[in-house]
Amino acid sequence: MNTNADKHAILHLAADTGRLILENGGETHRVEETMNALCRSFGYGDSESFVTPTGIFLSVSDDDGRTRSIIRRIKHRSINLNKVLLAGRLAESVCSDRLSPVEMRRELIRIENEPGYAAWLTVPAAALTAGFFTLLFGGGAGEFGVALYTGGTIKALSLLLSSIRLNEFFINVAGGALAALLALVSAAMIPGIQANSIIIGSIMLLVPGLAITNSIRDTLAGDLLSGIARAMESFLIAVAIAAGSGIVLKLWYLLAGGIR
Amino acid sequence: MIGPVAYAFIATLGFSILFNIRGFNVLLAALGGAAGWFAYLLSASLSGGPIFSFFIASIVVGVYAEVMARARRAPATTFAICAVIPLVPGGGMYYTMFESIQGNTARSLELGMETLITAGAIATGLVLVSSVANLIAYLSTGGRSDRISL
Repeated sequence: MNTNADKHAILHLAADTGRLILENGGETHRVEETMNALCRSFGYGDSESFVTPTGIFLSVSDDDGRTRSIIRRIKHRSINLNKVLLAGRLAESVCSDRLSPVEMRRELIRIENEPGYAAWLTVPAAALTAGFFTLLFGGGAGEFGVALYTGGTIKALSLLLSSIRLNEFFINVAGGALAALLALVSAAMIPGIQANSIIIGSIMLLVPGLAITNSIRDTLAGDLLSGIARAMESFLIAVAIAAGSGIVLKLWYLLAGGIR
Repeated sequence: MIGPVAYAFIATLGFSILFNIRGFNVLLAALGGAAGWFAYLLSASLSGGPIFSFFIASIVVGVYAEVMARARRAPATTFAICAVIPLVPGGGMYYTMFESIQGNTARSLELGMETLITAGAIATGLVLVSSVANLIAYLSTGGRSDRISL
């Protein structure tokens, strides 16, 4: 515990725990608190962290005044709330039970490699979500049916596009465009179906609910930089969805000449 | 009222799977979505006005999430993020864009403003609840600040 190697290991552990939480949708203050608590429980008297949605800075000083610091750059963020929960529990048990750094590293790697839900489950889940949101926003049985396959297709497309590492902006443009396209084509083919509720129900899959909420939460908590970054993120997502569905709608009206 | 609340339940259920929540928490998160939508409908039917109703609904979601977080030893956001999704103004976003491509700039701006305010009302409701919850936790631990808030 007192050796240099151990102290470095602890710093890396804290930073990697923070990164795990941040990359999977945790708030910035949660990351800061967790890293500080970890460092203190492993015997660093002084620990300061600065976390933004795109990077982690952590600096610790031990009792003889030597300072160590570490930077972790966050390039890819997704939402896996199970990992946030597990990482939080791990940090908590380390702080209270004094798990050794080696054991903690093993647990951390296990959590990091925990698989998410498979596509056979997420695609139907997206289909149901889009379907029931369509009902919630005033659609009938016909609109529900169309939204089922629209939602499933959007999820399948975004899984495909993120597997080839396309950036988030274009995934949302494509998702918005697909929602509008499938809804308009279906509304034209099947009599008595309105496209609006289908499009709204389907783009609910893409709307930046987490980013908006975290943005205002961070800002009010005094983390101004994170707040602005997340506000920008949610604005970009909203613009991407609007651009995608807007282009398709505009072309449709130009070609079909009028609104159904 | 039962119909829409059930729709919100299933829609939130789907979202909690998309956000990778595991086990029984999936159902609890979905229940939060239903509770939030119920609160919204109730408040709206008592003529609270839509934005005020979204604020009330997000407070209900926030309180539910904080209670569940303590009962299930999980971060409150696990429940809050999913349960708040039905309240997110996707419809407002869509109609803002729709009016804009129709060339109705004034109507589009009006709707855009309303959408922003709705989003703000929802987030403020959630923040209000979590601030009060933090305050209670802070007071009940006797001001110990080194706690990891799960």
